[in-house]
Amino acid sequence: MTISAAPEAPVEVRLASERPLKVAIFHGRDPRSRASAARAALGAGAEIVETVGSDDARSFAELAQALRDAGPNVVLASARSAKDADGIRESLEALRFGCATRQPPPRVIALAEPKLAERIRTAVRPFPFDAFVDAALVIGSLRSLRQRADPEATLRDQLLEDAARSLAESAASDALVVDVSEAMTSCALARADGTVEAVHAMGIGLGVAADRVVARAGIDRVRRWLPWPMDTPALLERVFNRARWLGAVPASEVALAIEMALAREAIGLALREASDAGLSIAAMRAAPNVLVTGRAAAFPRAAQTLVVALDGLQPTGIVNLWREPDDGRAERVALVAPVTTRRSATLRLAHAAGREEQRVARGTIVVAPLRGIVEISGAVRGFGDAGALGIVIDVRGRPIALPHRDAERLPALGRWNAALGVFSGPR
Amino acid sequence: MGWRYGKWTADHDLPVGASERVAIGERVNAGDVLAAGSALGTAIRVRGAKRLGLEPDDVLRVLRVTIGAELTAGTVVARTGRRFARAVSAPIDGRLLHLGSDGDLYFAPIVGRWVVRGALDGMVTRSDDAAVTVEGTAWCLEGIAAYGPDAIGELSLGVDSPKEDLAPMRLDVRLGGRIMLGGARVSAEAITRAHACGISGLIAGAANASGLRVVYGEDVTARGAPARGDRPTVLCVLGSGTATLPREIFDPFGVLAGSRAAIHTASARLFVFAPPDAVEIPRVAETVALAADYGSVRAFPGACEPAGEATFASEVQAAAVRCGGELFPRTNVRTTPAEA
Repeated sequence: MTISAAPEAPVEVRLASERPLKVAIFHGRDPRSRASAARAALGAGAEIVETVGSDDARSFAELAQALRDAGPNVVLASARSAKDADGIRESLEALRFGCATRQPPPRVIALAEPKLAERIRTAVRPFPFDAFVDAALVIGSLRSLRQRADPEATLRDQLLEDAARSLAESAASDALVVDVSEAMTSCALARADGTVEAVHAMGIGLGVAADRVVARAGIDRVRRWLPWPMDTPALLERVFNRARWLGAVPASEVALAIEMALAREAIGLALREASDAGLSIAAMRAAPNVLVTGRAAAFPRAAQTLVVALDGLQPTGIVNLWREPDDGRAERVALVAPVTTRRSATLRLAHAAGREEQRVARGTIVVAPLRGIVEISGAVRGFGDAGALGIVIDVRGRPIALPHRDAERLPALGRWNAALGVFSGPR
Repeated sequence: MGWRYGKWTADHDLPVGASERVAIGERVNAGDVLAAGSALGTAIRVRGAKRLGLEPDDVLRVLRVTIGAELTAGTVVARTGRRFARAVSAPIDGRLLHLGSDGDLYFAPIVGRWVVRGALDGMVTRSDDAAVTVEGTAWCLEGIAAYGPDAIGELSLGVDSPKEDLAPMRLDVRLGGRIMLGGARVSAEAITRAHACGISGLIAGAANASGLRVVYGEDVTARGAPARGDRPTVLCVLGSGTATLPREIFDPFGVLAGSRAAIHTASARLFVFAPPDAVEIPRVAETVALAADYGSVRAFPGACEPAGEATFASEVQAAAVRCGGELFPRTNVRTTPAEA
């Protein structure tokens, strides 16, 4: 894989094989304890297979069965009070009952103050136990467990965070890396000061995890992005076939449209997980620099990557959009200007060749094919490099509202796709 | 992909609450009970160490029954002291489930019974509370996904040609207890009718994905859904939607029909217990390719020819192969490794 924010200097790295680390979260009544554990698990690229609260309604045997079926490699126990710790101790008994013979045994990691961690420790035997106060240390510990088989290899999520950091540093402003691959979707936000907030959602992707995107988001949410009519059973069969075929390449426009629809929903699901983990999606959506990587960046046309990023992320501010496929170089795609207006708005675009005005109507996407640095004023203000596609003015509002009826939705999608040149032409 | 006679292992995960299971080294046949246990109700936690005046680690030493034992209410479970005795007794009819880390005892009522049956003739190589593993030799056809519980029965043909779909009207109660081959596609109607008629399981090139969601629930995925209990069993050999089985896969069914067989859903395998020389498998490569629109999986006889780099209708540029005169991306084609 090659990832770098600077197009001149790609870096070759060997990626670790992606065997998911399964994590079960045990948390107290305080919702913040669940959020902090989820943030650590998602930040480390672990897959959350079970979540057990102190007030879980399941019986002891049901909980033990659920934990046995889930087969977690790690149990992340997050407590903020003694009451939380006591609740977690009871859940740990179910873990001991359900997973006592599991080999290797699940490791229990406490995310709590030392006093509370000590309270939890006594209920953990015979499982290995670690305790950390800081979520960042938990992330480090989980990542080292993922790397155990091949310590020299680099994890994809670490690479994405490095890319986000480097982009933020070079742009001197916040940068978001959105990565959609076969089985993982990441959103890594790097602040200008170097801090990173990231969600690496395992089991969400446009390839072998496509069926799980459908199971979690719903088939209708995926179907709504298809620009051509396709009934639900037909789409489901295509998604299931794609999920069984690692590394398949979309040979037809229909297959490509399905992958693009899956990528949009994968980004949406990753953002939802980020929100559940207490991360700021508003900050991610407002990031002025967005780099799309992975399979979503490898679509044949830059406009395809652009439309997936626009629909999945739904940025709220002016965005310099880049893309960098795994085996390619970084490319500046477009300068995106989202406009929210009741009817129509006027944007003034100042560029090297002169000035022009764009009047845009609500519910449309307009492309101004400019090059170089452009200053935007009027309904929104900002500046940036126009990239390969130019200035993309998105007047669809936020959140993007898609009509429910095919007869209304398909023409709308057709117009947006035609404006951006997403597909080669009418089918 | 394809038939193979050889040594296989079949893991059988056990639900919690196992009370008896086969021993390591024991010989079992497909369909034999490997483990039995009880379905448990809401557990009751009883103070153990505190009531007995012991350290948690010492409770095990004074237990008068084994953990997992079935008890009637009032049975003395542990007792300490002589003149001033301290005792813990079972609060309900049920099982002593678990000894907690703090010395507390967990009791649960029995609300049902379960058994786990084997899916392979062979020797037990692992047997503990979590799983029983059997190793044995058989003819095996590996599918891509299986749904429902393991199934055991006589192998039977439900279609005359690999291109045919299994018609629900061909299924009736006379076929009860059999594993039926369902051709290129099985629908939800065929799955539910087969189950209602007592048919053990269905095998097909592909199953209707929406049908699977109707039968197994909305959260079913392409990876399969091994399950317990009274549910239909389906093995998909190639994909979802429609997939005509290659002759190399379909023809041996005609010879093996009437043999004892089992579907192991956790590994998506069909085991057929027939002599090693029962079938002559053609030594030609089998190739399956994912259709350009992902709508089906197609089989081609023999291996495909490399066709260099190609640009497809989606404008994707990728290494291509030519199968039966048609161009496919190289990554969308799979050929049996042994013969390729």
